[in-house]
Amino acid sequence: MSQDQIDILKRALEREKKARKAAEKILEEKSRELYFTSQKLENLLDEKSSQLEGVFENIVDAYVVMDIQGDIIKFNEAATRLFGYDIGRDNVNVKDLVFKDDHEYAMASFMQLHTQGFFKDYEARIYTKSKEVKWVHINASVVYDKDKKPIAAQGIVRDITAERASEEKLIESENRLATLVLNLDSGIILEDENRNIVLTNKKFCELFNIDAEPSDLFGMDCTDASEQNKLLFKNPEAFIQRMDEIDSAKKVVIGDELEMVDGKILERNYMPITIGKKSKGFLWTFTDVTLKRTYRKSLEVQKQKYYSIIANMHLGLVEVNNHDEILMINHSFSEMSGYSEEELLGKKAGEIFPIEGGSEIIAIENEKRKNGESNSYEIKIETKQGEVRYWLISGAPNYDINGHVVGSIGVHLDITNLKALELQKEKLLLKLEKSNDELQEYAHIVSHDLKSPLRSIDALVSWLKEDNKGKLDATSLKNFELIEATLEKMEQLISDVLDYSSVGTDTTVKADVDLNKMLQDLTTILYIPDHIKITALQQLPIIKGDATKLQQLFQNLISNAVKFIDKEKGSITIDFEDLKSHYKFSIQDNGIGIEKQFHDKIFKIFHALNKSKDSTGIGLSIVKKIVDLHEGQIWLESQPNIGTTFYFTLKK
Amino acid sequence: MKTLNILLIEDDMIEVMKLNRAISSLQLHHKITEANNGEEALKLLEHKDSLPDIILLDLNMPKISGLEFLKILKADDRLKYIPTIILTTSNNQRDLLECYKIGIAGYVLKPLKYEDYVSKIEKLLSYWSINELITV
Repeated sequence: MSQDQIDILKRALEREKKARKAAEKILEEKSRELYFTSQKLENLLDEKSSQLEGVFENIVDAYVVMDIQGDIIKFNEAATRLFGYDIGRDNVNVKDLVFKDDHEYAMASFMQLHTQGFFKDYEARIYTKSKEVKWVHINASVVYDKDKKPIAAQGIVRDITAERASEEKLIESENRLATLVLNLDSGIILEDENRNIVLTNKKFCELFNIDAEPSDLFGMDCTDASEQNKLLFKNPEAFIQRMDEIDSAKKVVIGDELEMVDGKILERNYMPITIGKKSKGFLWTFTDVTLKRTYRKSLEVQKQKYYSIIANMHLGLVEVNNHDEILMINHSFSEMSGYSEEELLGKKAGEIFPIEGGSEIIAIENEKRKNGESNSYEIKIETKQGEVRYWLISGAPNYDINGHVVGSIGVHLDITNLKALELQKEKLLLKLEKSNDELQEYAHIVSHDLKSPLRSIDALVSWLKEDNKGKLDATSLKNFELIEATLEKMEQLISDVLDYSSVGTDTTVKADVDLNKMLQDLTTILYIPDHIKITALQQLPIIKGDATKLQQLFQNLISNAVKFIDKEKGSITIDFEDLKSHYKFSIQDNGIGIEKQFHDKIFKIFHALNKSKDSTGIGLSIVKKIVDLHEGQIWLESQPNIGTTFYFTLKK
Repeated sequence: MKTLNILLIEDDMIEVMKLNRAISSLQLHHKITEANNGEEALKLLEHKDSLPDIILLDLNMPKISGLEFLKILKADDRLKYIPTIILTTSNNQRDLLECYKIGIAGYVLKPLKYEDYVSKIEKLLSYWSINELITV
């Protein structure tokens, strides 16, 4: 190898050595530089991450970091406050926090987090540690490592419970308002500047016979709609004209009345709605006032009717207040009393008119009115002309709207004529009673005066017989006997007439009469021959009546039956039947019977069918009179030679 | 048996005869004083020393009626003690009531038959004959 070659190689090596040294030096410099830079970067990173941490720690909203399994790794202070968990002690998984009803929504949001790496504006409810429910708003994103692998998720959680509540309240009150508007009893239309419908309600549709939901009308043009609706009104052109007028004036109009073809009356109001200086539209309201109008009209008619009744009735009407001061009288009262309305207004009714204690009566009655009582009473009064009249007053309390007694109203009827009749009737009754008494007395005196001579004749006859004992022939003795028999009959006749006249005049009090006992008494008093048997088929009732007269009734009928029994074995059967208001008695005998033609006659006085020694013909007349007195009837069924049944009814 | 001083107040002559005859036929020895009416009787009763033991009084008389006489009698301090028996044809309940109210010692109805009359008088007088009477 040549020197040259060696030299060349030596030089080349030298150059290489030098170059490597320079490179080493550069490398050394560079690595030093790099070291410093990385030092610097590390510091910067530290600085930044602590800076970031501070930001998260210190933000107002809650900051939450969880790992991929959903276990919470980190809560900032706000999060700790919000959820109530101390992350240093408690193990919390996100599933524990989701409100049960929001579970599905939460899962969907987690899916989104997985697929897209984030979700935004999640709004749902969560449980706190104390199981309180809160509304939260969450934005969340996934945290990746340097290999783009997800390692955690972080989220900002904002407590929106309060916001949410007021929002709900707002919605609720909006709903309420909307429902109110929808169901308002007035039809309303809110239109905008261009007369397009913004809002309307059911009542409007109903009033204008529109077969649609209110919401269907939103946006419609009112001008067009009115052209169709005008036909509903009695005067369509006027309706449109007036509407246009109102629309162009854009001023408040209240109380326009529209008459509809079907007789309805609508009241129309119009008002522009402005908030601040901004127009919010124009509000038309329509209210059905038909009832109100017709009510007022019929009220007027009624009032007129009653007014004319009050004015024209023949009863005096007086209204007084609680102090008995006259507030109102009608024309009839003015005529009745003789005073004009002016003379009476404000005067005390109880002081002007009554006489003979009437003022006290009125004072008592007025007290009753204050207690709400109403009734009628009579008083004696004096008119302005000094005439004494009787009034029947029917008084009733007068109430105000609140139900307080404010006085009374009295209806007055002049009963002077009636009263006079009544007094006359009382007088007549007294007179009648007296003359009845006198008649009764008279009957007694007459019967006494008639009976006395009979006694005398009888005494004289018996003395004649006594004094001429043995001197009288048979014929004379027979004639004396006839005189005595005639006297007896005369005596009986007088007694019967007196009895007959006594029935119905004596006003004895009615009492309970036990007919069984009475019948028993009778069988001992009456002469009943041995061949006649008296039987009562059942226990007789106890009835209200005059004991003496009832006894006389049974006595006459039984003794009649006894008298006319011609059979060997006589029977008298007494029975009764309980009718509704009366008892029906029957007294049956097996005597000679009475022919049909005499059935009515026998009850007439002095109609004895058999002229016998002991029959005066008055007995059955007395019976009839007693039955009449007990509001009953008497009749008979009879077959000649077989027997007779007398029936009679007595009021219970 | 006691004999009675009887005052009979009766306006009917035959009635007076009836009583007298009845007493004599019964063989009683009562002393009978007659007065035809109330006034006469009152006059007789003025003699306080010879007052009757009993009075038989008819109700139906002219002038002062039996009832009026009875009232006057019962209002008198001495006379009111004399037993007074009504002898009448009136069975008027009102008369009976009134008489008992004022005060009587008996009420006898005159029967129709004379024999019945005699029998009633016999019983009446025998009853009063056995009674203790007072003299005031």
